[in-house]
Amino acid sequence: MIDFFEITKRALNGPYSAEQDFAMKILVPKLKAVVKKYGIKYDPNNPVPSDDKLADDIFQAGLELCAEVGCYCKDTSRIIKFTPEEIAEALRDAPFAPVYGEGADEKAMSVRRPESSEKPYCFLGAGGGISTNEDVYVRMVEGYGRIPKINSVTCPTITKINGMDVVAGSPLELLACIRSVELGRAALRRAQRPGLPIMNAIATAVTAAGKITGSSFGLRNTDAWICGFTSPMQVQFERLNEVAYILARGGKIVGESGEIMGGYCGGPEGTAVINVAYHVLSILVLRASSHLTFPIDFRYASNTSQEVMWAVSTSTQAITRNSHHPILNLTYVGAGPMTEMCLYEIAAAHIGRVASGGNIEFGGVAKAITLDHFTPLEPRFASEVSHAAAGMTRAQANEMFKLLNAKYKDQLPNPPKGKKFQEAFDWDSIVPCQEYVDLYGRIKNELTSYGLKFE
Amino acid sequence: MSTDKKTLLNELQQAVIEGDGERAKVATQKCLDAGIAPLEAVEFGLRDGLKIVGDRFEKLELFLPDLMLAAEAGNQVMSVLEPIITAGGGESKSAGTVVIGTAKGDIHTIGKNILAMLLKLSGFQVYDLGADVPATTFLEEARKHKADVIAISALMTSTMPGQREVVRLLNDVHERESYEVLVGGAPVTQNWATEIGADGYSETASGGVALALKLVAKK
Repeated sequence: MIDFFEITKRALNGPYSAEQDFAMKILVPKLKAVVKKYGIKYDPNNPVPSDDKLADDIFQAGLELCAEVGCYCKDTSRIIKFTPEEIAEALRDAPFAPVYGEGADEKAMSVRRPESSEKPYCFLGAGGGISTNEDVYVRMVEGYGRIPKINSVTCPTITKINGMDVVAGSPLELLACIRSVELGRAALRRAQRPGLPIMNAIATAVTAAGKITGSSFGLRNTDAWICGFTSPMQVQFERLNEVAYILARGGKIVGESGEIMGGYCGGPEGTAVINVAYHVLSILVLRASSHLTFPIDFRYASNTSQEVMWAVSTSTQAITRNSHHPILNLTYVGAGPMTEMCLYEIAAAHIGRVASGGNIEFGGVAKAITLDHFTPLEPRFASEVSHAAAGMTRAQANEMFKLLNAKYKDQLPNPPKGKKFQEAFDWDSIVPCQEYVDLYGRIKNELTSYGLKFE
Repeated sequence: MSTDKKTLLNELQQAVIEGDGERAKVATQKCLDAGIAPLEAVEFGLRDGLKIVGDRFEKLELFLPDLMLAAEAGNQVMSVLEPIITAGGGESKSAGTVVIGTAKGDIHTIGKNILAMLLKLSGFQVYDLGADVPATTFLEEARKHKADVIAISALMTSTMPGQREVVRLLNDVHERESYEVLVGGAPVTQNWATEIGADGYSETASGGVALALKLVAKK
């Protein structure tokens, strides 16, 4: 596989394009062309299709898109291009089964396949959620550390330190990044899981300076750093600078892509194809150890709708059938903690993703945009559903998704916000209140009656 | 209206919906040749076409590139009509002027782009300042274009203070009353908008357009 120096060279010297031309004259027409060439068509009756040919066609379409379009560097207005041979080589040489964590919490993340009975890797926690202050942050992360099926943790974003708003690019961002790492590590130790990897280093960081500075205050090479693309198929030097730093210290990168369905990639078909292209770009450009993907439905700013399910399911099947490089599917639900809708969304989304071959990251509760509206119980529930869904056929998952989706789809435009962590959990013991325990038990019983077998 | 005129206006509308600028330009000329008043072409050909595009976008039948092409086709139509409307002493109605951008430190543009396109489709004159825009640039551009509205998007909690900075700057230079300030973006809430003294907030792009229309009408 070509090395990172070559990526940097191409970012500096590749063909020039104005940014808008890259999107409108290069990406959009090519994406439409490959969707048409392979006859890829969204099927509203089968949000979790069982069609291997469709999955393989989406994979091929994604590879063609990647080869014909490349990745746009925003800082230089140049395109990092790849030949089909370089893409094939990248897929051949891509990391597989990367190991994260230490001691009792050391675990490899492997690529699953559609309908695999192998339990998915569970990357659990805040998924981008935002916490009011450091006290909430610490309690939340300790709560995540106590989830039985957790394999790695996603820490929240800190929005204030010492009572001041954290401003991107200011010294406060750097200080907040340092504090995020120090407090996260301490909270996991309090949970008696000191070796649990922090896999979203560092959620509070906006700039490379923030991420690199915070890393020196307790991150280990057995943790992982998230570095992401900008939509559509773009990368910034800020991210490549982070990659340079992480590679030099021997750390692992999780390559992140979150395309917006309804944006430049169009509908479910384009979203599925571009997801595959990102998979390859993540290996090549971001030098990822694994790929994290979360297409978002622009109408709802969440990703539990039927259309997104189809795009996620088909692209996950496409990738897991044709690549040994592991992927994680991150879910954002619309509803907040302690609501029926939230638990239905979590169940529907994870059943579909796991049966399609995905590992999971959860999660974004209440769209991960409302302060303190997330608790450790939602990721715990997601991991339990995901383990129970391992081994389910795509046809079974398809029916189950439709059944559950029908219970919440009308509320997607205006989902209930639910309760704050401070309202849904006991502050001192970090356990859910009885009302929440009862709701969680009732929904689990209902899912059991539909055929889901919890451990 | 005669059937012939209806057919010509429908053709104009369809060209706009399909984002075909050249066809829209030809259709506009045909409307004029058939004696259709320029303002009628704007109202029934252009505006209605753009409204249909906006509605279909909301239903996920059309996507951001379609919005952009339709808006460009609209520009082509106006390049034919505007000189005639102006020469006739008339005025092509603009819904208002908006300067829009993403807050300092924030490089996410898609939500902002969608709102910018929907504003254009609704008849606003839109000046898109792009991403990572300092407060001073918002102020300078708003002055330069005599804007009615300053719209600021932020996708991250740590770039939301960039929205507050714009409001503070407007207050500091005693120009707060000159502009309506709209804020939006995934983590932004009505509470935040109220806290920083913005004039409006919307969770969705279509809500943002409705709000802009309302605030400009009030001015």
